[in-house]
This record gives sequence, C-alpha cells and structure tokens, in this order.
Amino acid sequence: MSDNQPEPFETGLSRRTMLRLAGGGLGSVALSAMLHAEQPAHHIPKAKHVIQIFCPGGMSQVDTFDHKPELAKRAGKPFDPDGKLQFFASKPGNCQPGFWKFRQHGESGLWMSDLFPKLATCVDEMAFIYSMQSKTALHGPACFMMNTGFTLPGFPSMGSWVTYGLGSDNRNLPSFVVLPDPRGLPPGGIINWGAGFLPAVHQATTLNASDPQNPIADLFPSGESPASPGTSDRDGLSFLQQLNRRHLEKRGGNTDLEARISAYELAARLQLSAPEVADTSSESLTTQLEFQIDDPDIGPFGRQCLLARRLVERGVRFVQIYCGAENTTAKEIRPNWDSHEDLPRDHGYWGRVLDSGASTLLKDLKTRGLLDETLVICTTEFGRQPAAQGNRAAGRDHNGGAFTAWLAGGGIKGGVGFGATDDLGYKAVEQPVYSYDLHATALHLLGLDHERLTFYHNGIERRLTDVHGHVISDLLA
Amino acid sequence: MTIQDSIITSPRFNRVLPLCAALTVILLAVVPVKLASAAEKAPAVDFQRDIAPLFEKHCLRCHNADSSEGDFSLSTDQDLRDAEFVVAGQPELSHLLSVVQPDGDQPPAMPKEGKPLTQTEVEVLRQWVAAGAVWPKTVTLRTRSKADSTWWSLQPVVSKEPPKTESTSSNLIDHFIRAGLDAKGLAPSPVADRRVLIRRLYFDLLGLPPSPKAVAAFVADPSPDAYERLVDELLASKHFGERWARHWLDIAHYADTHGFERDKLRDNAWRYRDYVIRALNADKPYDQFLMEQIAGDTTNNPDDESIIATGFLAAGPWDFVGQVETKSPILKRAARALDLDDMLTQVMTSTVAMTANCARCHDHKLDPITQREYYQLAAVFAGVRRDNRDISPELRRQYETSKAELTDEISRLSAQIGQLRGENIDLADIVGGGNGFGTGRKGIGIDARTGMMQERPFGDLGNVKPGNYAASAYPFVDGVFVPASGETLITSTGLTASDLPSNSGKAWDMIRNGPVSSQFSTMLGNVDYNSTGHSMISLHANAGITFDLAAIRKAGRTALTKQNSESPQEDDGIGTSSISYRFSSVVGYGGRTVEPSAEFRVYLDGELKTQGRLGRNDTQAVSVEVPSGARFLTLISTDGGDGYGHDQISFGDPRLAMSSSSGATVEQQQIADLLSQQRDLESKLLALGQPPEFFGIISETPPAMHILTRGDPESPGKAVKPGVLGFGRESSEFGSADMKDGERRLALAQWITSPENPLTPRVIVNRLWHWHFGSGLVATPSDFGFGGGRPSHPQLLDWLADELLRSGWSLKHIHRLIVTSQTYQQQSSPSFQSVSIDGIDSAVGRSYIDPAEVDSDNRLLWRMNPHRLEAEAVRDSVLAITGKLNHEMFGPGYRDFNYEEAYAPIYTYRTADSPPLWRRSVYRFVVRTTPQQFMTALDCPDPANLTPQRNVTTTALQSLALYNNDFMLKQSRYLAERLVSEAGSNTDTQIERAFQLAFARSPNADEQELSRQAIARQGLWQFCRAILNANEFVYID
Repeated sequence: MSDNQPEPFETGLSRRTMLRLAGGGLGSVALSAMLHAEQPAHHIPKAKHVIQIFCPGGMSQVDTFDHKPELAKRAGKPFDPDGKLQFFASKPGNCQPGFWKFRQHGESGLWMSDLFPKLATCVDEMAFIYSMQSKTALHGPACFMMNTGFTLPGFPSMGSWVTYGLGSDNRNLPSFVVLPDPRGLPPGGIINWGAGFLPAVHQATTLNASDPQNPIADLFPSGESPASPGTSDRDGLSFLQQLNRRHLEKRGGNTDLEARISAYELAARLQLSAPEVADTSSESLTTQLEFQIDDPDIGPFGRQCLLARRLVERGVRFVQIYCGAENTTAKEIRPNWDSHEDLPRDHGYWGRVLDSGASTLLKDLKTRGLLDETLVICTTEFGRQPAAQGNRAAGRDHNGGAFTAWLAGGGIKGGVGFGATDDLGYKAVEQPVYSYDLHATALHLLGLDHERLTFYHNGIERRLTDVHGHVISDLLA
Repeated sequence: MTIQDSIITSPRFNRVLPLCAALTVILLAVVPVKLASAAEKAPAVDFQRDIAPLFEKHCLRCHNADSSEGDFSLSTDQDLRDAEFVVAGQPELSHLLSVVQPDGDQPPAMPKEGKPLTQTEVEVLRQWVAAGAVWPKTVTLRTRSKADSTWWSLQPVVSKEPPKTESTSSNLIDHFIRAGLDAKGLAPSPVADRRVLIRRLYFDLLGLPPSPKAVAAFVADPSPDAYERLVDELLASKHFGERWARHWLDIAHYADTHGFERDKLRDNAWRYRDYVIRALNADKPYDQFLMEQIAGDTTNNPDDESIIATGFLAAGPWDFVGQVETKSPILKRAARALDLDDMLTQVMTSTVAMTANCARCHDHKLDPITQREYYQLAAVFAGVRRDNRDISPELRRQYETSKAELTDEISRLSAQIGQLRGENIDLADIVGGGNGFGTGRKGIGIDARTGMMQERPFGDLGNVKPGNYAASAYPFVDGVFVPASGETLITSTGLTASDLPSNSGKAWDMIRNGPVSSQFSTMLGNVDYNSTGHSMISLHANAGITFDLAAIRKAGRTALTKQNSESPQEDDGIGTSSISYRFSSVVGYGGRTVEPSAEFRVYLDGELKTQGRLGRNDTQAVSVEVPSGARFLTLISTDGGDGYGHDQISFGDPRLAMSSSSGATVEQQQIADLLSQQRDLESKLLALGQPPEFFGIISETPPAMHILTRGDPESPGKAVKPGVLGFGRESSEFGSADMKDGERRLALAQWITSPENPLTPRVIVNRLWHWHFGSGLVATPSDFGFGGGRPSHPQLLDWLADELLRSGWSLKHIHRLIVTSQTYQQQSSPSFQSVSIDGIDSAVGRSYIDPAEVDSDNRLLWRMNPHRLEAEAVRDSVLAITGKLNHEMFGPGYRDFNYEEAYAPIYTYRTADSPPLWRRSVYRFVVRTTPQQFMTALDCPDPANLTPQRNVTTTALQSLALYNNDFMLKQSRYLAERLVSEAGSNTDTQIERAFQLAFARSPNADEQELSRQAIARQGLWQFCRAILNANEFVYID
C-alpha cells in the first residue's frame, strides 16, 4: 500500500505515541514514570542531576562576568551617536562601564566583577558562555525561551523534558522540583516550569522552602482535618483502597485503575519524604551558617540552595531555583534583576544574594562529592545594555543580544569561557548561541540526545531545542 | 518507555557513527572505480536520478523561487548559472562543492538546517560537476513534502454503504465497525447494563452524574425505546452545551486573561464562552458556527451573537508588553508575528486539522503546504487586532442611557433620604461627583481652571488665569476658581472676596475628594482623613470652590413635595429656606513644611467666616452656622505669598449638619417609601449587568504581508496576497492586496465551510467520535496530515462526514447516531471472546481469542473504552453529589482567587466554598499564568496550548489534591450532611444513599460491611471523603 491509502494499523506513529493517543492507556506508563522507572539514557551520562539557578529580570553581563575595558574607555560618550536605536523602553544613553571593578581570578585567570567576591573563588569550577542571546527582550517570552526553548507559552520546560526522558531516581520524591523565590513568581508565572503538552506527571512539583512542615500543596489535609491526621488518614486510605481493589477485581487487567491505587500509596510515602527533605534542622550548624539561612536578605535564597542540595542528594533529577520574582509593586529595591533606574542598588542587592548562595552551593556539593554528578546551571532570560538608562544614568535597558550563562560540575570543564560579545558587550559576535545550545549541552551531559528526545504534539514531533541546537563541546570536561 | 522505543525504531539513532564513517570511507575508495567501469554502459551520473533528489533534499527548502532565505534559488538550470556556484567541468573551482564539505574542524556551511551531505552524495555531486553539470532546461525542481495532493484526507468524501455483516443493528455505524472486527476474527462485546449506560450517557453528554431517581426510572422503564428517549432528553438538556462547549474551548485555547508577563484580566471574554454554549445547545449548523467565529462581524447585517462569535479569533494568549508596552519596533513586530501565528494556527488546526503553522519558516516538510501559503493565510488575519470592543454601537447607547438614568435617579433618592433622616452632608463626596451621601468617588477632582471633572493626577498646571470664575457642571457646586491677589470673584452671582493675600498665581492639580497628587500626608493632627469613616477635600494652593447650598436644600426638599403634595410646588423660596445647617471641618496642612506656609479661608455668601495659616503640625477646627437663607459656602486656599510649593490644604470631614430634624412619623413613612424605590432602581441597575462589550477583534486595514525569511519578521521577502491552501493542485490566492479585512476572513470561512472541502466535515465528525469514545477514528484530531494518524475506519469516517452534510451540518444528528449505536453501548470490561474462525479444526470449532492481544488499543472497538473523568467533570460531579452545585448559567465567570493589581497581576487561589463559586467548571474564570493547581493536577490543560485531546495521567500529586485539598474536604462534609438529611441517622441507609449518588448502584454485602466499619472508626465524613476519591467515582465504565 502506498502512503496515501488509509491503513488501520500503520500510522507512522510509534507504539508509545499510539498508546497515549488511544487515551486511557497511559496509566501504566505514567505509573512507571511516577514510581521509579529510571529510563535508559541515549548514552552514558556525565551528570545525574541538574540544579538550575534562574535569575529573572535580566542580569547585566557587563557588570558581572563579561569584562569590557573598551566600555570604560568610552565612558560618557554617546552609545548610539546616530540615534537610530530604540531599546525596549528607552533610547540609548551614554556608554556606561560596569559599576563594579573587574579582576582576574583563579588559575584560569577569568574575569569577574567585584559584585561576586565569593563566587570569584569558584571560578576554576565554572564554565562561562559569554555569547548567549535571546530571540526577544521581553521578560515573559524570554523566560519562556530560556526554560522551554520557545518564546510562546505552553511548551514543556527543560526539567519536564528531562524527567520525560530519564524518569525518576527516587521512588519517594518527585523527579522535578522547583523552588520559586519566596517574594513571588517569575515573569510569565507558573507555566515557566509547566509540562506544556507533556503528560502532567512531568510537571514540576513546587516546594515551599519557607514551610518545612507542609512543603507541598495539599500534602496534608488543611485546618479541616481531624486532630491527628496521621493515623486517621491512613485508616481512611485503607478503606479507600479496599473499595478500589474490589472495583478492580471486576475489571481485571485495567492498568489505569491499578496505577491510581498505587498513586495513593506513593502519595502516602510522599507525606513522609517531603517534610524530611524540607527540614534543614538536621544539617550541621556549620552548614546552616555557610548558607546564611537566617539572614533576612540572603537567607531565603540560601535556604533554597541548601534544599536543592538535599533534593539531589536524595536522587531528585532536576531542581530549579529562582533568584528573584516578578516586577510587582515592591518599591525600594526591585524584586528581581530588572534594573532600569538604579542598577547599583538592584544588582547590588541581588548580587549579594546570588554570590553567597551559589558559591556556598558549589562548595558544599564539592565537599560532599556531589558536584561531579550534579550539573549546576545559572542563567537569566536576557542581558542588559552597555548604554546607561534613566535621568541619573544609573540603569540599563533590556538586551536580547547578549548575556552570560555559567555552568559547573556534572561533566563541565571548569575555568573556561566560550564565545564573546563585541567590544562593548552589546551583541554576541563570536559563536553566538541561543537557549538551544545550552539545552542541548545540558541534555547531552545527562545522557540524552536533544534531537531524539521528542514528543508528538499537534502535527510535530516536538523537541526542547525546536529544530536547532548543538552540544557545546568546548565546555565538556 | 520513550527512549527504549526510539532506540529500536529511530533511524536517526547513530551511536555506531564512527563505524559507519569508517565504512563510508572504505566504500568511497571503491566508488570511483565502480563508476568508472559503469561509465562505459550508462552516464555515470544521471541528473533526474542522482542530482535532482540531492537538490530537493538538501537545498530547495531554502533556495527556491518563493523563498528569499538564501537570496537565490536553485530550482532551475538558469538559477544555477545565475548563482555562479558551479564551474562546469571544474569541481575544485565550484563554490557549491566547498560549502557542502567540512572546512577544517568546522562542519559544512550548507545545508544550514538538517544533516550534512554524506560523503557519497558529495562524491556524486563532484562527478556531476566534473561531467559538465548538465541540468535539462525543462526541469524545474520543487521541494517535496512527504504527502502530496493524493493524500487520503484531501480526497473527496465518498460515502458508501457499509459491508454486509452479521450485525442486526439498524445503525449503520455498527456494520462498519463489525466489518473491521470480522476481519480480525473479533466479536463485539455485549451491551452494558442500564446502570452503566445511563451513567455513561450522562457524563458523556452532560458532564454530570445521573440522579438516583433518574437511574431508577431508566432501569425500570419497560419500553424498548427507553434508551433512545433518554438520548433525546439529554441532547435537549441545557447542560449539554455546557459540557460540549468545554471541548470546543480546549481547541480555541480560551482563557479569561491575556497570559505572558502582564497577565491582565479579560473581564468580558465570557461572552464568547456563552456563545459556544448557546450555539451547541441550539444545534447551530456547524458551517454557520464556523462562519460566525471566523467572520461573523462581516456579514451585511450581523446580529449580536455572530459578532460575539469572533471572540474565537481572540481567545488565545496575547502579549501586552510586546504588542503595546515596549517602545522597540523590532520587539513589536516579533510579537505581532507570533500573534498572527497563534490565530492562524488555531483556525487551521481546529477547522481543517492542517498544521499550516509548520510552514512558517520554510515549506511544510510533511504536507503539501508551502511557505507562501502560510503567509497568504497570515494575510487573511493581517487586519485583525485583539481587543475589548462593543458588541454594537446601538447596544452601547442603550446601555449607557439606561445606566445614566438609573444612576441619576438613585443618587437623587439617596440625597432625599439622607436629608430626611437628618444625616450629615459630606462635601468631599460632592467634590467626588456625588450627592453628599456616598455616591461620589474617592480621588475624583474638579479642575479649578475649568470646572471640569478630572480623574488622573496632574502636577503644575498651565494656562492658569487667577480671578477667573468657572461655573461647574456639578449640581451642588456653584463654581471654582484660582483666586487672584486682593479681590476675587467667588460666586456666579458676582459676590467677591477681598483682602486676599498676594499669591504666586500658580496652581497644582485638582480640588479633590481625597489627597491631591503628591500630597505628603493625609494625617491632620492624629487622624488619617483618607481612612475609612473619614473624608477630606484637598485644595493645593491656589484654588477655591463654592458650594450651592440652595441646590443642596432643594435636593432634600424634592422628597417632601413629591410625597406630600398632589400639585407639586416648583417655587424655590419656601421649602428651601426652611433648612439651616452647621458647616464643620478640621483644616490642616498636607505638605511637609513645618513652618506655617499656606492660608485658607471660609466664606458664607461672600462674608469671611474664618481663616488660618497652617504648616505641617497645625490643625484648626472650623464651625460655621449656615442659616436657612444662606446660599453660597466658599473654601479657598492660597499660598500666602511665599510660593505655592507643598501648600496642600485639606479640609478633614467637611460636613453640613442639619441643625434640627423633626423625626415625624410622616417623614419615617416617606423614608420607607423612598428606600423601597431606591432598592427597586438598584436591582434594575444590577440587572443591566456588564457593559455590552466582549474581548474580540477590531477589524482594521490590513498592512502588506510578506513572506518572512526563516519566519524572521526582520527579513521580509516577497509580498503575498491573502489566500488559502491549494494542496499543490490549485491556485490558492483568492484576493488582492487591497482586499478589506472582513472580505479576507469571509473568503477563508467560505473555503473552510464549502461542501467541496473534504477536511471540514471529516475533522468535526472525527472530533465528536474522539470525545465520545476517548479516541478518534483518526487518532490525531487536529492533524490530518502525514504526521498524524491514519483512519482506523476510513469508510465510516466518510459515511459520517456525508451524514453531517446531508443533515444540514447538524452536530446533534451525529451525536445521536454515535451514542445510539450498539458499538457505543458495549461493555467496557475486557473479556475473552468466543469467535468462530475459518480453517480451525472442526473438532475444536470455536477458538478463544484474547482481543487484548490482537488489538490492545481497542482501535477496532471490540469494547467501549473506559475512561477517567476530566478535571471539570470531576469537580462538577463532586458538587452535584454533595448537592451544592449551583446551576446558574452564563455570565461572568466565577473567580476562585484573590486578585491583586500589580505590574504583573497576582492571582492567589482560595477555597471555593460559597454558592457563587459552586457553579459548573465551564464558568471558571481561567487565568493563564497562574493555573488553578487542583484542576491542573487533574490534567486540565494549559490554555496556552490548543488541546484537541486531553492527557490522562495518574500522579501522586493528583491523589494528594483529591484527598487533601480543602475544597474536597469541605465537600466531603457537605456530602455527610446531605446523607444525614436525606437518609436519616441509620448508617445502612446512609451507605445505600452514598453509593446510589456516587456510583448509581447499591453496595453489595461486602462493601456494606466495610463501609459500616469505616464509618464506625472514623465517622461519616471520612467515609464520604473516600467515596469521592474512589476509582469507581472518577472512572466511567
């Protein structure tokens, strides 16, 4: 038969896809992903876990990692003498050198600004991509792009793709956990870590770092509950499961129904494992002090970093931490890195937060021997302009043309830089890369081939990297 | 699951690449020899056989006549010469060969997308060039998609009688299905029992459980057509549209907020949702249903409903920051391109299941859709902008008129009531546009220059004319002014104030009900007059306002005359002057300056009553007797001659108190009557509802549309005209560049709904099949192209499509056909079947076949598919069973969240625990950036996505949500209350009732005993909690 003739059983779709499309056949599949089902990788992985730090709002490259002496030479001169450029919210002001002094660090001699004195001591563990760029300079779409590879909402985030590809490593905890900034959601909201069109089992579980007793929504009954939820709930559960088993007996072989019975058992186990992982009191005093978890400013992020380590320690596959929230109504200091009017103030604040948490995380992972198997990624959604913005010339506007991301651990070669921006740090010019290459590289380290990690949706075998992406081999150890 | 499969099946799997490469090298060494020896018999390289496929595979997608992506085309011999990339006979000088080979460490420059040429391919190319690069003049190369115009879904609908089968059913569907089963030696499953059937039908058609009464009646109905009558009853139910609209809204990716960063409210999007419910309930012909949604605003005389239908085009997400806020034109163009893509994708996938969106960057790789056609479609929508709009100017006028009449009348009544009661008149409320009794708005101001009402904040005012007296449109304000130095006019009758201190002649902001803009503080003394229970008038120097006391008195008097006199007195003297007041206020300074800096004065009929000079720490209590004859009360602030900076004078609690009130019974009676009138009017105002607006589309003049190279808005190529899809066999442009927006959409809608278009009817009958059975005849309801599934029963699909057309596009006709089929009524439990098979040993005669082995996915429908309820149906059923479901239909959606206005609005969910929040889930106000997590846990899709089929997943988070979410816990308690109220205190009858409500059956003895024990141990509500979590509750057999 030719392609054009209808043929009932040859659909061009894989059996897996058919199973899903048939509807109702997914229970067993979902169950395997949910329970344990470590999936075989495409190749031998270097990393088993990922901790991704996301700094929403747009971190400035020229004030942090991307050293631009030429910018200092042109300080105060017009950035765009012809007046042709129009940035997101403003016309460019004068060239504005980095607000912090840059120095070389470590054996690698890579540059970092004085905004990150602690992180600077880790420079030989870190690999920098100086030539990151985004397809947009709008927060929402750019956050989506860095998380999902697309500027539109509705696509699965990297963490979802990873759990879809690799399954879980711990049968008592979710495989993809996100720790939002306690100040609020990032631009674009919850769907930044959504599963998009992937089955919901691959969506992130939000862990509330500030409520260790009740870290996951609906983990326990709320105020309505009887005095001692523990025993009574387990008793109620046993009645439910008896009903369900009797129901199943008459419908033998329905794996969906079996899956649902098992899901309640897993939920019960989660009630034990989630509070355990969220409780940092078992950590040594030294560790708690290092992460500065009681500092009013640095503490929340320090706690998120500490929890991230505790999660990967227990086999959680992918942890995403947000260092910053959305542009809400906060007045004094901006609730994220979006420094339009006072970069020294806002980057100064968030820089201190990131510097402490991220550097402690790297050192802590290394001490525990976890850094080798844990890929740490730190990124933002786009960079900022080398030109000043605002009446006081103390801010910078959005820049989709250039930003810096860094990686460490999990198969990454430390102390290297990749790509470059132009002399002023305005645009990525040497080996410019989008999120695709970063994602392809991360998947590669996890043992996944980004071109083969696909899912059929509305006519297309979708990928995290769309039709793009190359593994950046220069970064690999 | 996923990876294992792809390791086995994916041709792209190439872990053994090094080995392959090595082999290729060895082969290459051999190839030239082979070719050389073959050259004697036939030409070494044949263009059509060897070269054309290479170009088509690797080059044409970007380098074709339509695409400007590579700046040149490689479609013809002439193209090749023009490009000058080939020097015939000299491969080493030909640029073409260098770009397809690696350059040192770098991968080949071409092709940019896709795999590089193999070394064999490069070698063939080299030999072709060496042999003279012969390209026959007549040959024009085209990109080739995997499917062409002969693709099954593009062929005309051909309806044939089904094959003859053993089925005795009068429903032809059963014969098509039976034929498929026969071919595999399978038999259909027996018809399910009536309890199963009624539950299945109710959930399928209404999304709600049947009541125990309905179950009992159906089970006991002896008539042979009981089932058919039940079907008719449910198809006629008003809840049918609520259930099926939700399916369509999934495809429209409908939500009630914009999405993206600034996820603002769409307060009026619900009108489109209501349109869908009404249209499906009314069985609006499907062609008309589509026509209205795409172009309902363009017909000659559109009615309100067909205009609202265009909310379909606006239903998806929309990036406010990219479309409106940013100043960057590049970012705006990018956002607009994505906006059009969203609209186009939605229309094409929902109606004809064609993934035209895959042709945005280059020709479709699978289906015969060109990149040019994608931009033709984009041109159809190029004049469409999403926005709030009036349904019609006429409706808007009616609405505004009625609203203004009612509001005025209510305001008049409340003033009368207030004065009759002797309540204090709040002058700040009057400044806020009110009647002195709370109908004004905080923050509203009067412009001292013009007397106009202003809302937004102002700073330093221009065009100030000190001494100019401006009359006011406010009924109770005589006029306003910026005082001149010395003498200045303060009433419309020519009274003046004199001896005013000299001032700067400057003014700032408005005279406001509340603080002026940039007011330092609203604390005067120890009281915050901007807090609840207080009010303030603020006048930044220099400003003055005069209240019309006569008008205020008259408003109160109208009540007396109306109530008391059969011949109303219209004179102004008698009743008016009989009321006297006392004016009181605490005056203070709202600025920062501690040193007394601003001056205020109070005048009665031009006579100075009191004055003061104030700084930050000063307050002054003012009390002025207003005798019954007084007409004008004037408040002035001046800067006192030392500049107007910070001179913010505020009158705290500025009140007119009635000096006496009779309290007579006749007045009490009047007050009661007026209150009743007021209530009446207020309910009329409420009934007016929201303004006649909806979130839909604005039709504008379409800008020129260009093919965008690689989909990049910054790389426009050739201009295109509006058009449709030609599927490689016909011209697909239908318009000219100056065609109007409405005409473009109308033409597209006509193409979609033409009876000649085989896709539209096939696609919708397949969707209906999908929603009834959980899986379509084509398993990919929104993709009828090469990448999608093939029909399991092609003839049945065509027969249904033809039935749809013959019924005049009646969807309910198709629903009825499907659900009355024996196929639909089968049991869902798999069971071993006894089937006779030809060729089986006669001694055995019959053989047992496990259909789950032959057809595990049940594509052939040897049984009904059991399925779990969708998120909405779970929630609605919980409410139905606890008796809390609020059946109110239509109108603004319920909001089970707290909304906080911010740059990016903040949505915080709360437990739905009141009747307004217990409406059906289709009326939920859907927020894009912050999904309702309870619903998401139950697989409610992200409304950013077009969702033709829902995922069904089973997760621990889902179990936690159903078991522990506060909504479920509260509903469990309500179910317990219902059981007690309907089944009394006897445990056994409570259990019986619970099973009937939730499972449509009685418990067996074993279940009864288990339930008794559970209730004894933990109480009734915990038992209810388990019932609402049971598999039997959320699964439909």
